[in-house]
Amino acid sequence: MARSWQLKAGFMSEATLAIKKISGHPGPAPGANVERDYQVAKLIDTTTCIGCKACEVACLEWNGYTFTETFFDNSYQTMPATTWNYWNLIKFNEHEREDGTLQLLMRKDQCMHCADPGCLAACPADGAIVQYTNGIVDFQQQNCIGCGYCVSGCPFDIPKFDPTTKKMFKCTLCVDRVSVGLEPACIKSCPTGCLHFGSKEDMSYLAESRAKQLRENFGFEKAGVYDPSGVGGTGVIYVLHDVTNPEAYGGLPKDPHIPWVVRFWKGPAKWIGNLAMLFGVIGVTIHYFRYGPKEIHPRHDNGGKL
Amino acid sequence: MSSHVISTPRTTGEPGERILRYTLTERVNHWFAALTYIYCLITGLAFWSPYMYWLAAIVGGGPTARFWHPWLGVAFTVSVFWMHQMWDRDMQITDADRRWAKVIKLYIENDDQNLPPEGRFNYGQKLFFWLMFYGIILLLISGIGLWFVEDIPWSLRWLRYLSVTVHVIAAMATIAGFIIHIYMGTAMVRGGFTSIIRGEVTADWARTHHRLWHEEVMRRQPPPGAVGSRK
Amino acid sequence: MTNGWIDIRNTDMMLIMGGNPAENHPCGFKWAIEAKRNRNAKLISVDPRFTRTSATADLFCQIRAGSDIAFLGGIINYAIQNNRIAHDYLVNYTNAAFIVKEGFKLPEDGLYSGFDPQTQTYDRSTWNYEEGNDSGAVVAGHAAPPPATSLPPGAPKPLPPLPGKVGYDLTLQHPRCVFQLLKQQYSRYTPEVVERITGIPKDQFLKAADMFTSVRKDGDMKKVATVIYAVGWTQHSYGTQIIRTAAILQLVMGNVGRAGGGVNALRGHSNIQGATDMGGVFDIWPGYLKVPNPTDSDLATYLKRITPTASKPGPWDSFNYWSNTPKFVVSQLKSFFGDAATKENDFCFNWMPKVDRNYSWAQIWDNMYRGSVKGLLAFGMNGVCIGPDSQKNIEALKKADFLVVGEIYPDETSEFWRSPGITADEMKNIKTTVYRLACAGFAEKDGSMTNSARWLQWKYAAVPTPGECRLDQDIVAQIFLKVRELYQKEGGKFPDPIVKLTWAYSDAKRPPLAELLKELNGKALADLTDPKTQVTIKKGQQLPGFAWLKDDGTTACGNWIYSGCWTEAGNQTARRETGDPSNLGVYQNWAWSWPANRRVLYNRASCDPSGKPWDPSRKQVWWNEGAQTWAGVDVPDFKPDSDPKDHMGPFIMNPEGVGRIFGPLAAFADGPFPEHYEPIESLVVNALHPNQSNNPVVKKFKTDADKYAGPNDGYNVICTTYRLTEHYHYWTKNNPMNVQLIPEPFIEVPVELAQELGIKGNDKIKVTSIRSYYIAKAFVTKRIKPMMVDGKKVYQIGIPIHQGYRGIQEDAGRDARTILNRLTPTIVDPNAYTPEFKGFLVKVEKV
Repeated sequence: MARSWQLKAGFMSEATLAIKKISGHPGPAPGANVERDYQVAKLIDTTTCIGCKACEVACLEWNGYTFTETFFDNSYQTMPATTWNYWNLIKFNEHEREDGTLQLLMRKDQCMHCADPGCLAACPADGAIVQYTNGIVDFQQQNCIGCGYCVSGCPFDIPKFDPTTKKMFKCTLCVDRVSVGLEPACIKSCPTGCLHFGSKEDMSYLAESRAKQLRENFGFEKAGVYDPSGVGGTGVIYVLHDVTNPEAYGGLPKDPHIPWVVRFWKGPAKWIGNLAMLFGVIGVTIHYFRYGPKEIHPRHDNGGKL
Repeated sequence: MSSHVISTPRTTGEPGERILRYTLTERVNHWFAALTYIYCLITGLAFWSPYMYWLAAIVGGGPTARFWHPWLGVAFTVSVFWMHQMWDRDMQITDADRRWAKVIKLYIENDDQNLPPEGRFNYGQKLFFWLMFYGIILLLISGIGLWFVEDIPWSLRWLRYLSVTVHVIAAMATIAGFIIHIYMGTAMVRGGFTSIIRGEVTADWARTHHRLWHEEVMRRQPPPGAVGSRK
Repeated sequence: MTNGWIDIRNTDMMLIMGGNPAENHPCGFKWAIEAKRNRNAKLISVDPRFTRTSATADLFCQIRAGSDIAFLGGIINYAIQNNRIAHDYLVNYTNAAFIVKEGFKLPEDGLYSGFDPQTQTYDRSTWNYEEGNDSGAVVAGHAAPPPATSLPPGAPKPLPPLPGKVGYDLTLQHPRCVFQLLKQQYSRYTPEVVERITGIPKDQFLKAADMFTSVRKDGDMKKVATVIYAVGWTQHSYGTQIIRTAAILQLVMGNVGRAGGGVNALRGHSNIQGATDMGGVFDIWPGYLKVPNPTDSDLATYLKRITPTASKPGPWDSFNYWSNTPKFVVSQLKSFFGDAATKENDFCFNWMPKVDRNYSWAQIWDNMYRGSVKGLLAFGMNGVCIGPDSQKNIEALKKADFLVVGEIYPDETSEFWRSPGITADEMKNIKTTVYRLACAGFAEKDGSMTNSARWLQWKYAAVPTPGECRLDQDIVAQIFLKVRELYQKEGGKFPDPIVKLTWAYSDAKRPPLAELLKELNGKALADLTDPKTQVTIKKGQQLPGFAWLKDDGTTACGNWIYSGCWTEAGNQTARRETGDPSNLGVYQNWAWSWPANRRVLYNRASCDPSGKPWDPSRKQVWWNEGAQTWAGVDVPDFKPDSDPKDHMGPFIMNPEGVGRIFGPLAAFADGPFPEHYEPIESLVVNALHPNQSNNPVVKKFKTDADKYAGPNDGYNVICTTYRLTEHYHYWTKNNPMNVQLIPEPFIEVPVELAQELGIKGNDKIKVTSIRSYYIAKAFVTKRIKPMMVDGKKVYQIGIPIHQGYRGIQEDAGRDARTILNRLTPTIVDPNAYTPEFKGFLVKVEKV
């Protein structure tokens, strides 16, 4: 069964790289109104993840990153969080359930490829972050100015800064592979089939059916699919044993959304500020027209009535 | 008080005394502050709105703009603190200011003859100074938050959002002050712009706009024949 | 594995114990996940630690290291008590109905009948079946042991044979029938006793027992359970018997031979199965042929000793496939010595060494430590790190004259002389000459690997060897040619076996492995004709399979079980067809599986006695009445034309034809049924028989290096060792990709023990056994809990094996450079000679 959910050869590649949303861009994006047949999605079934970290290494190797010095920190986890050149990290948590039984929760952390990406909303640089019509959110480093606004915009703490190049980096969902009909490197490396890749529709169906199986056959009554609506759904969805407690999975936010501050900042505040500045300039101009420059009164000795 | 009356070498027989309003140090500092602020303003506006992102191009492009913005922000802060050190006393709000503030409408309407006399800086200038002074403190603190945003732990991420908010509000406030400052310094109060470049104003100018200051200067150093050093 | 990796996906129930496949066999574990996803299969994980396998399990039981027999025996007892056994399977396919000799005694006191405390061995003559008549009744006059002739030194005392016809009782009621003995043996393993020994609370044990045996609820035979294990079982001083207990459980439950069932050993290295198949241990030749011993004065005597005769109920049939042993042996000798091997000279049988003593791993190092082994060729293994008792191994190497290491990295063995603690002065006194040979990595050579599923898979070199590295086989060949040259020149004491050894490779210095594999497959040395089918094989042609082997010297075959892997049709191991019409994951045309490309061993047992599959939805083989033959999606592991009416047993490699619940005679050194014994170092005495705590036939080593801690020596924590998914033994510490995943060695310590000792996570701690110490950072974890064992609070800790003194982090000075196996005792299982790496005693302190 699992096989049939694998990538249908080539379907991802058609016109994949049409752009739906562009960061910091005055005016609409070329693909703004394009409705594609397929939104791509990655499904991560945490209930069958064995924490082997093959995806971590595959990610490094495909993207050409080498050795990062790491330190043991009372965990199997490679490092505390993803870094600019380590985009894919399995987060481990020894979770004690209410009945006293232990769970070793393992969740692959990476960019969630939100339908409504906070990074893109926050980004001021024209074209530094784009969202393709297939749903992939991608950083274009040649346009990135390294301001870090995306860090504030992201509800998942994903974009990371490279101090050398002064650019932001994150998981690309292997857009370079997907656009030629291949699955992302992490998917290819996964030995247990806990990772799947395909259309969002198929992945959602598969995820829901797995969650149902977990509820009905394996006693996980709260099993469910994590596809948070606060960010318009995500291009990476999880099956969780307990969907009511995503925080236990290495801090997956319960109800992620673009911070309202960022929304306000990039929405109303923009127009309020722009108008205020405009009115300021207009105001002083009118003042000049009305009153003109101040005059000098050299012999006036009674300055001031008071 | 560092200002004093000078005689200018250029005055040839005319009775126009000229008074040193800003020392060289003050002028240099002002223009250092002005340039750094304007740089931050241009780059800040570029980051602020996609419709002004082109501004980044005139200062070398987005990445360069992003690189220098915080550093020049720090330079601006240093400059403002320096100003504070120089002008702190002159900038204290006095009773005269309070009287002046009550009839500020007259000032706006250019009915200066009916305004109460002001010292070296009038109430409006003082307000602008303090706006910029406190503004830059907020901009600096929030700017550090934006500069090192990744170093703010995820658990304290409200600080990230606070930084954004504060930076924007403070920037807007300083921009408001800045617009008025430019307008007044160039178009509205003739002579003001020259004074911040050459440092001098005429006695008439001083008497008109800053009578109390003029009187004080006169008291200390009567004008005719007086010789001062150009700083 | 009786089954294969892919076959795990067919199961309904998995008991994973003594293994951690999610971490150590992640690619194979995929099939366990598929069983869960596609069949709602349940997974029970039993381990001293909550592992990443446990993370995917439906039930986890934390067991005290080394108490596995008690747990499994308890499940056998539960299955019998609750009638969750496969009755028809038990009667027809196992020796449950066989009647055991009078005088046989169960180990209520820890000892079976026949124990000799002087030699610490058993006289196993009572461990036998009664002779019976056709209706099963016991008859007198059972063959006596052969007369004791003068035995050469080191030769084992001969045992009486198995009776040709055994006494049996198909009602299973006879008090001495195997089933009644089994019932009696494990009736002592009540849930309460299991709790006392294993530390698993009774209710949790019952949950596990109920879950596992639920596949046989109400006698239903459709469902199947599998048992999956690895070195967590083998590495005990009774490791073989743990696996035996699992095999018995699986036989009682009717799970062997069936898709989704079996007893499945997960081999730790990609080709370790191949190493065993090829006789990589001292007591077998390739193909599991027993080595000759000094009593084997000629070929006939040898063949008579090692060729079993059928032993079964009168009316039943037994294929007794090992009766073909002479064909395998002679063909192998022909392969070794070619034309020099003739009928007249016993096919050069006497050129082969006769093994008079134990040359197992720990013994080799012990002998080197004692000074009788003077040199070592170490290829593909890091003897110092592997242990046990690494310090003893280092000391042993100091005494050797020479050491040759073939490796791809500088390793601890080749640099034993600079292990931590050796001063510059001491180094000067080490006289061992070390030769380091740069070998090739696995991706740099062609060749086949044999995986756990018994598949031989051909692979091609992906990259050339760097620099002056040479392929291992080239090095061995070149050493051989040099030695042969010396013999040819100088004669020597016994040159024939060397000088006349077959060496007919196209490039003698660089024998291509393809030619070796063809040699293993075997070829005809004369024209052969099958009298039944009239098919003829010409002289010089590759043999289609081991059925063609002859004992008259007309065939040569290097390893009979590999016969069929490289036929006239070419290299079968290179096949890559992905078709699977059966949908059972058989993949008949992918690579090649020994024996005879069978994927599930004993698959006749997947059918009921009449030849119909127990579960019609998982049809593997079946009796085709019309064609009077066995057919199937897999190759039937059976005599193809044996009508079910003849009642031939499905376990064709046993002389009984049936599965051995009772292991008779010489099958095991320590008992025909497994019994729980304590590890050699234990905190508690054996709850079943306090006066016989340990395995009675296990012998301690006796050099000054060999120390064993008693319960009162102050070593109060149980330690177990394991491997991490991020690392591969001692090799990947040279690979940056692996090193960054787990950068530093650590010791897993339960939260409660850490609190008691004032240890926090990341603190450096020292673990000390009576032999040596180990230092690493503490991993304070909730995944190991304190447990109550026999009323005593007991802590366990776990240490991954991967630290050494050569590697990226070691060279950077980022760890303590201590070797884990400095802690472990030299004590071995009496059957397989595997050291007891699991469950020894230590104490823990903060550094």
